[in-house]
Amino acid sequence: MELTMGSGLFRRKRNRHGKIKETNIEAKINLTHAAIDATYEIKGIDTEDQVMKDFLFTLGCFEGEKITLISALADNYIIHIKDARYSIDSQLASVIRIGNTE
Amino acid sequence: MRIALTGNPNSGKTTLFNVITGKVEHVGNWAGVTVDKKEGDVKGDWNKTGTKIRIVDLPGAYSMSPYSSEESITSNFVKNEQPDVIINIVDATNLSRSLLLTTQLLELGIPVVVALNKIDLLKNKGITINLKVLSKKLGCPVVETSSILKKGMVEIIDQAVKVSGKGQKAPFQSSILNNDELDKKAYEAKDKERFRFVDKLVKETEIREVESKKQTRQDAIDRIVANKILGIPIFAAVIYLVFSISQSWLGPLIADYFVGWIDKLYVFVDGIMGENISPLLSTLLLDGIIGGVGALIGFLPLIMVLFFQLALLEDSGYMARVAVVMDRYLKKVGLSGKSIIPMIIGTGCAIPGVMATRTIRDERQRRTTAMLTPFMPCGAKLPVIALFSGVFFENAAWVGTSMYFVGIGIIIGGALIVRRITKESSAKSYFIMELPEYRLPSIKRAYVSMMSRAKAFIIKAATIILVCNAAIQIMQTFNWNFQLVAEGMENTSILASLANPFAYLLLPLGFGVWQLAAAAITGFIAKENVVGTLAVVYGISNFIDTEELALVSGANDVASIMGLSSVAALAYLMFNLFTPPCFAAIGAMNAEMESRKWLWGGIAFQLSMGYVVSFIVYQVGTLITTGSFGNAFVPGLIAVAFIIGIIFYLMQRNNQEEYEALKELG
Repeated sequence: MELTMGSGLFRRKRNRHGKIKETNIEAKINLTHAAIDATYEIKGIDTEDQVMKDFLFTLGCFEGEKITLISALADNYIIHIKDARYSIDSQLASVIRIGNTE
Repeated sequence: MRIALTGNPNSGKTTLFNVITGKVEHVGNWAGVTVDKKEGDVKGDWNKTGTKIRIVDLPGAYSMSPYSSEESITSNFVKNEQPDVIINIVDATNLSRSLLLTTQLLELGIPVVVALNKIDLLKNKGITINLKVLSKKLGCPVVETSSILKKGMVEIIDQAVKVSGKGQKAPFQSSILNNDELDKKAYEAKDKERFRFVDKLVKETEIREVESKKQTRQDAIDRIVANKILGIPIFAAVIYLVFSISQSWLGPLIADYFVGWIDKLYVFVDGIMGENISPLLSTLLLDGIIGGVGALIGFLPLIMVLFFQLALLEDSGYMARVAVVMDRYLKKVGLSGKSIIPMIIGTGCAIPGVMATRTIRDERQRRTTAMLTPFMPCGAKLPVIALFSGVFFENAAWVGTSMYFVGIGIIIGGALIVRRITKESSAKSYFIMELPEYRLPSIKRAYVSMMSRAKAFIIKAATIILVCNAAIQIMQTFNWNFQLVAEGMENTSILASLANPFAYLLLPLGFGVWQLAAAAITGFIAKENVVGTLAVVYGISNFIDTEELALVSGANDVASIMGLSSVAALAYLMFNLFTPPCFAAIGAMNAEMESRKWLWGGIAFQLSMGYVVSFIVYQVGTLITTGSFGNAFVPGLIAVAFIIGIIFYLMQRNNQEEYEALKELG
């Protein structure tokens, strides 16, 4: 019950969000859709978890910065930001919204 | 004067701290090894200035804004305690991220010296940094250092003393650093500007021949060792190899020489005491102290070989990949991916392992991890593993290896149970871990780490363990009337009568004799005690054979003295490994859990787990090997069913509450 309520909320939000940005199809692309070795511009971090958002910020992972996908392993993505490599899980990868490749 | 060491995680702060203070704090090639501040004085070799300098090593931080508790230690210290100078350690291979913190530190008004560390890696990576420009633009001295090669140490201290007492101008002034009231948006905008400032600075000072985002051989290695299918088997193979070397090949070889000396000491002491000394004193000294402590010290070489290898592994950068591999499984059972770090540290000692849980943000996950970390066999449990695999399993390396994996299995199962008993927090838990570069591990650093752990082991053996062994010896020599226990009347000793009630409880586990019960109980004081106590109560002076090159002398004799079947021995070993840890580790659990309820719940859970696992191993094992169940099957089954019943009740209760809450909601 709790779970379905949560996902319902989530869906509604996504729908609304989708409506606003209907014209811009790229807005929905997140890091899990990225191609290996391609460098993208970060368009936004879509999470309610402000602490994580702030933390990513200090690593240089925020809107306007560059991100490169090095490898995709099972549930983990190895990414490159500002000369460092990090392993993140698919949950975190899915909140990193990305734009055009270079 | 006082200097604070600050910098990003894994920039080499603690390595530098160890070099300039001569201390041996735990280091590893991954982020988050240091979780608490450490202090020490600069050694004379590096300090040519004549002033006494105190160094404070702080946990790594990416910025001055506190995002997790160990990062706030850093920002609180720097802001509140006003050190005379800040040495900011900057990873020279990652200026673009590291300088964010640098620009924040420069705003505090405290003089800063930048240590451009890991300078030895620049050439290989095709990076050149213009030091002069960097220093000028930052407005503070910049010194090239390599803490691994001990380069630049005198210079960095020298510079720190020179700038002390002077102010510090900031190249980038945000003017809002200490104003927490300011709204978030403005703050963020300022920090973005700060990043742009850093980007510009890097562009002006750094030339890279190869872009860091290019695929490297390291990335290829990552794809293999952190592979979905291969990750776990590779980890298992690594652990197996570590155990084979320490327990079957190199360890016994060294142990052999070592035990020869202990034997000589025994004979020597026996010789100088002569015939006239009281037999009581002579047994106390020979069997209680030299015998008990010696039996334990005999395992020292094994432990040293193992610690040496673990230090090599930590230095190589592989452990961060293990965390990545394990994240998938831990997340499924409601733990954080970060939970693996305390568990890896816990293989050395559960106390720093439990302390490392404070990097976990979610309270429930942190407490669960603190409760489960002690299930990883720690260094003190190694002699116990070595003893039993030697006596009952011909030194098979699989015994030690499988104990690690049983530990991991119990942690995963335990996490599932704890998740059901406690309410799972709804907060999403994301996993992010910096992947450090692999490097050839340093023999010298591993040696230093091994020696410091060996020293701690010897000190413990010569103090706590020695006192316990002496006490055990006295308690088994006397009865309650303080008369010597006659031969054949061992059951009347103080020790036997104290341990007997517990022995009854252990009957269904296959080892219900007072000697084994006593050893298990002294194990709560320190797990090494299990070996020492067994040596004392069974009158075995040393377990290691010096002639046969076997780890355990006359393994069959020892086995027959203890009167255990292999299956019961395995059950006893697991009981000692998977019941609550030593009191010191329980103290650490108490500190990190910050809840009596969790602490007692955790201890009860650990006790139940050890009991149930041993019961299953003994009874099922006996059924398989002999065709019928072992001793006291029925009472044991009732006890185990009772324990499982309580656990199920607790798990159900929560469901019930949820159900009722939902019904109210309609």
